[in-house]
Amino acid sequence: MRHLRFVLMTVMAALLSALALPAAAQTLGNSDHIAIRLVPETDSPAPGGTVTLAFVSTPEKGWHGYWQNPGDAGVKTTADWTLPAGVKAGPLRYPIPQRLMLAGIMNYVFEGPFTQFADLTIPADAKAGTRLPIRVKLDYLVCTHEICVPETKTLTTALTVGDGGISPQIRAQFDQWRQALPRPLGSAAHYAVAGKSLRIAIPFPQSMKVDPANAYFFPVTDGAISYADPQKLVRDGDTLIVETGAGSDPKGTIQGVLKLGSDTGFLVSATPGAVPVPSTATTQSGWLWSSALAAFFGAVLGGLILNIMPCVFPILSLKALSLARSGETEHAARAEALAYTAGVVLVCVALGGILLALRAAGATAGWAFQLQDPRVILFLLLLVTGIALNLAGLFELSAPGVVNKAAARGTGGAFATGALAAFIATPCTGPFMGVALGAALVLPWPLALAIFAGLGLGLALPFLAIGFIPALRARLPKPGSWMETFRHILSVPMFLTALALAWVLGRQAGVNGMTLGLAAALLAAFGLWWTGRRQSRGKSAAWLPAALAVLIALGGIALVERAPAQAETAAMPLDAQPFTEARLQELRASGRPVFAYFTADWCLTCKVNEKTAIDTSEVARAFKQNNVAVLVGDWTDGDPTLGRFIEAHNRAGVPLYLWYAPGADSPRILPQILTPAMLAALPERHGAGT
Amino acid sequence: MIHRLFTGAAIVAAMVAAPALAEQVNGRHAQNFALTDMHGKTVHLSDYLGKVVVLEWNNPGCPFVQKHYRSGNMQKTQATARESGVVWLTVNSGAPGKQGHMNGAEAQQFVSSQKATPTHYLLDPKGVVGHAYAAKTTPHMYIVDSDGTLVYQGGIDDKPTADPADIAGARNHVLAALKEIRAGQPVSVAETRPYGCSVKYAN
Repeated sequence: MRHLRFVLMTVMAALLSALALPAAAQTLGNSDHIAIRLVPETDSPAPGGTVTLAFVSTPEKGWHGYWQNPGDAGVKTTADWTLPAGVKAGPLRYPIPQRLMLAGIMNYVFEGPFTQFADLTIPADAKAGTRLPIRVKLDYLVCTHEICVPETKTLTTALTVGDGGISPQIRAQFDQWRQALPRPLGSAAHYAVAGKSLRIAIPFPQSMKVDPANAYFFPVTDGAISYADPQKLVRDGDTLIVETGAGSDPKGTIQGVLKLGSDTGFLVSATPGAVPVPSTATTQSGWLWSSALAAFFGAVLGGLILNIMPCVFPILSLKALSLARSGETEHAARAEALAYTAGVVLVCVALGGILLALRAAGATAGWAFQLQDPRVILFLLLLVTGIALNLAGLFELSAPGVVNKAAARGTGGAFATGALAAFIATPCTGPFMGVALGAALVLPWPLALAIFAGLGLGLALPFLAIGFIPALRARLPKPGSWMETFRHILSVPMFLTALALAWVLGRQAGVNGMTLGLAAALLAAFGLWWTGRRQSRGKSAAWLPAALAVLIALGGIALVERAPAQAETAAMPLDAQPFTEARLQELRASGRPVFAYFTADWCLTCKVNEKTAIDTSEVARAFKQNNVAVLVGDWTDGDPTLGRFIEAHNRAGVPLYLWYAPGADSPRILPQILTPAMLAALPERHGAGT
Repeated sequence: MIHRLFTGAAIVAAMVAAPALAEQVNGRHAQNFALTDMHGKTVHLSDYLGKVVVLEWNNPGCPFVQKHYRSGNMQKTQATARESGVVWLTVNSGAPGKQGHMNGAEAQQFVSSQKATPTHYLLDPKGVVGHAYAAKTTPHMYIVDSDGTLVYQGGIDDKPTADPADIAGARNHVLAALKEIRAGQPVSVAETRPYGCSVKYAN
């Protein structure tokens, strides 16, 4: 009786607990929400070789499996191997994952079919024909958006030691699965932690297009970043910078996968180090404000210095003297100073705004971007020449027109002068303002515009001071006939500015462009001189010849074109052929030395090596003299055939540089950093034709 | 009483205003909260100032929670903790309609059927406290020292699996930390990676 009661109570308790626990989660091992197939790349691995096993996984619709770092929740897959003696299994390799954010919790998952890989190493002393039973128990988690189920699967296969042959069908299938694996980037990344934000600088060629909205850094290393925080991607030349919240404990090397498209991802390894530019950071930590403030004051100071630049000084000094002229009231002086400041600041902010808009649109513009266009340079050349001739006394500004207003009195004139000064000042800003403006480009746009405004404020500061401090004004020399001489002297720095602009034009548009520019300047000068003569005789419509000449000169703008950049460097691309193993064998059989290199458009180290070492005249000459054949393998799209060839040389990815001396059995693997001397010495060392 | 309710309401209001998953930092004062327990009683964290408090995020439908309840590991941890005067607050942040969400009666049935012994089983259907503590998984464990300082956050142990067989060889981070606190030592493993299902917050 007592026994029966115990049994009844146990049954009741079991029923109760079954009731209390929702049935959604089934017991371990009974469910099958991910179908997994174990496929070996070969059934007959060679002794001492490796065989890749694929776990071809297909989650049920609505279910997802987890990546090696599952994110905020979930667990990674564990594999428990039962292997014959001597056979070793490598770690699981995962394809590029997807993000799944659920109620603020970040999950790194696979929502569709995915294939994991593991490599088995076969002992070198394995006898051909030996049967190798392989058994692996996988423990993994599979979830919907609502519930999670841990599953266990035991998979088996049997291999027989043989020749390692892979059938073409299986090979093609594996190549397709492998396309989803991330590729090693081949260049070292760095990261820096500042307060609660973490920034990773990843070398990545500027020429590769990236859609920042779809880019994401999946951290393999736990605790490095805060998973649920948004990530921001900014590009700075050949660097991609990922900005996000720091994790609980970012330290040591941070591994991860930079995903740039549904099937494009790169293995990144980042060590602590300098991250090039100050950032927009996702958090408003103090350093951001302090650096923005520092940049602002740097900009003000830079603007102040600009006042003594040859391009600005003449305009400013004349304007200042005009203020000092007798008859100016306190009120008028202030109004003029404010109008001038408004003109300067407005043009600086407008230029900055255009620049930020261009960068936001994906262009790689820098400060003074407008000066990269030879047409703008020519326009400035004409403008500056005109001002210089005016200062020199060739003609007077008495008729209407923008340039005329520059020296006119009144607030409208002051505003125009300010705008002109700021526009003409840009060529001089570069060397002084590079750092502060560089900082501005990566700050949030309101802060960036504030820095451009700071530059304008600095530029306007002396004039503001003269306008608002009567004592300063009183100290300015009294106007007199000496002013005419002073004005003529000031034309010298203005002509120097014109000279510098002509030089820039020559750099950009070549000798023809420069000559065209100088001819346009001469034509304008002639028109202005004619006008000057008419003015001195008091003729009406004195402006006619100048207007005509300047109009024709401006027409020259349409004619200048950017010269092709071919003469800029001593670059000389080698006469390279696309790499195939067949072509390599052919060339080697013919007894020619072969230099084979493997590159990708996304590999910065590769591009740097090509520019600084491979494509140089020194190397081209040495290779040509010694009849060196050059083969180039482009791994930009992750071609699996190339990938296998690269792996066969113990490299996970590009760059890879191989030197096949004539008659040598195996290639020499060259270092990942090349110099022209090193390459040029290659054939000499072995001697041509030996 | 009125005053207390008002305080509670103010705290909840303050936490609603706080951003999602605000996160509590070890060594800092653990944020106070007010929640209704399974019997309808309002419980404040501050009620237990002077005692060590363990917070356990719970979802009875989650296999990782089941690993620790069906094996009796969670109950044993609770009992061991409470024997030494520790307060144990189990928190359920599952939103209505989501897996593991329970009302008071269901929670009472769960606690009695599992022979669990938390000091209180707290209902957080809006996820307010869960978000304030950045509770991400079930289970997710926190320990607040007697002076109100957060001294541990993370997993229950160091074997992130759903297999009960792994409990025997695992380091129970909560028991280890409580032992160190009792001995007046700093908690040696103060932050670990929690593992389990994601907390089923409202979307």
